Amino acid sequence: MNRPLSRGRFFLVWLMLGIQSFGGGSVVLAMIRRAAVEQYGWLTEAQFTRDWALIQVAPGINLIALTILLGRRVAGKAGVFLALAGLLLPSALITVLITLLYSHFAERPEVRAALRGILPVTVGLGLRTSWQMALPLLRESSREGRVSFLLSILLIAGCGAIAALWGRLPVVLLLCGSGLIAALYNLYRAIRTGSHPPLFPPSVKAE
Amino acid sequence: MINPFLYFWIFLKASLFSSGGTGNLPSLHADLIPAHLATETQFAEALTIGQLAPGPNGLWSVSLGFLTGGWTGAILALLAVTLPPFFILAVERLYRRIESHPAVEGFVRGLSLAIIGISLVVMGKLLIGASEGIDYRSLLLVLAAIGAGAVRRIPVFVIIAVAGVIGVILYRN
Repeated sequence: MNRPLSRGRFFLVWLMLGIQSFGGGSVVLAMIRRAAVEQYGWLTEAQFTRDWALIQVAPGINLIALTILLGRRVAGKAGVFLALAGLLLPSALITVLITLLYSHFAERPEVRAALRGILPVTVGLGLRTSWQMALPLLRESSREGRVSFLLSILLIAGCGAIAALWGRLPVVLLLCGSGLIAALYNLYRAIRTGSHPPLFPPSVKAE
Repeated sequence: MINPFLYFWIFLKASLFSSGGTGNLPSLHADLIPAHLATETQFAEALTIGQLAPGPNGLWSVSLGFLTGGWTGAILALLAVTLPPFFILAVERLYRRIESHPAVEGFVRGLSLAIIGISLVVMGKLLIGASEGIDYRSLLLVLAAIGAGAVRRIPVFVIIAVAGVIGVILYRN
C-alpha cells in the first residue's frame, strides 16, 4: 500500500485537497484522512488517530498542524512546505475571492437552499470520521479486556455528555481530564501485569 | 492600514495563544474592534466565509485580513495562522521520546477518546443549530452522507456538490 510518491505528485495531492475541500473543517479532515490512510497509505488508522490527538496540544489551526505532520512524515522538510503550499494557497485564494463576491450572492435563495442541503452532509461525513477514529482505539482496548473497553466507552460518552450539557466549559480541561484518567488506569494496569516497574516499589516484606 | 508589523502581531498573538480554527476569535475581537480596525459586520461576514470556502475553517482569518487590510492584510493573516501550528513538531519530538511509557500511552488514548466524544456532540449541535432548522430530509441526508463517505470511489468534493444540488431542489421556494 505504501507507494512512494514523487515530490511533484505529492504537491499535486495537496493542491487537489486545497481546491476541493469545500464544506468546512470536518470535511477537510475526512478528505485528508481518506487520502493519507486509505488512498496512499502514508500511515495507519491508529497512527492517524494518535497524530490527531497530539495535535490538540499544539496552538492554532489543527488541520494545518496535521498537514505539517503528514508532510514531514512523507517527504521531510520539503514535504512540510509542499503540503502546506498545496493545501493553503488555493484555499486562501478562493477564500479571498469569495470575500470579494460575498455581498452579491449571500442572500440569494438558491445559495441558501444549497447550503441547507450541504450542512447535514458535512455532519454525516464528520460522524463517519469520528467513528473511523474511534475504531482502532476500541479494537485495541477490547483486546486488553473488558474493563479497558468499558472505560473507553465511558470516556467517549462522558466527555460527550459533559460537552453537551456544559455550554462554555473549556475543552482543554475536558481533554486533560480524560487523558489523566486513562493515563492513571494504564499505569495501574501496567504495574499490575508487571510490564512496567512500579513507581513506588513495595518495601520488602519478611516472609 | 496601520503598521503592518503591529497588524501581523495582533493576528499572530491571537493564533499563538489559542487552539482550533476559531479559537483566535476572542483575542482578535478584543484587539481590532476597540481600535476601529474592524467592525462587527466584518467579523460575522469573515466567519461565514470561513465556512463556505475550501480548506480549514480557520482561514476565516484570511477573509478578515482581506476585509480590513486588503491583499496585504490577507497575506499577513495567512502567515500568522500558519506559523503557530509548527509547534506540533516539538510536541511530536517530545512524544517520541516518552511514548512507550504506559502513562503517556494512556494519556494520548484518553485524549483521543475525549476528542471523539466532543466531536460527536459538536456535530449534533451543528445540525440542530442550523439557521434554517432541520427536518426528516436533513436526517436522511446525514445517513446518505455516511453511506456515500464509505464508497471510496466517490470523491468527497462530489458528495458536497451533489448535496448542494439536492438542497436547491428540496428547499428552493
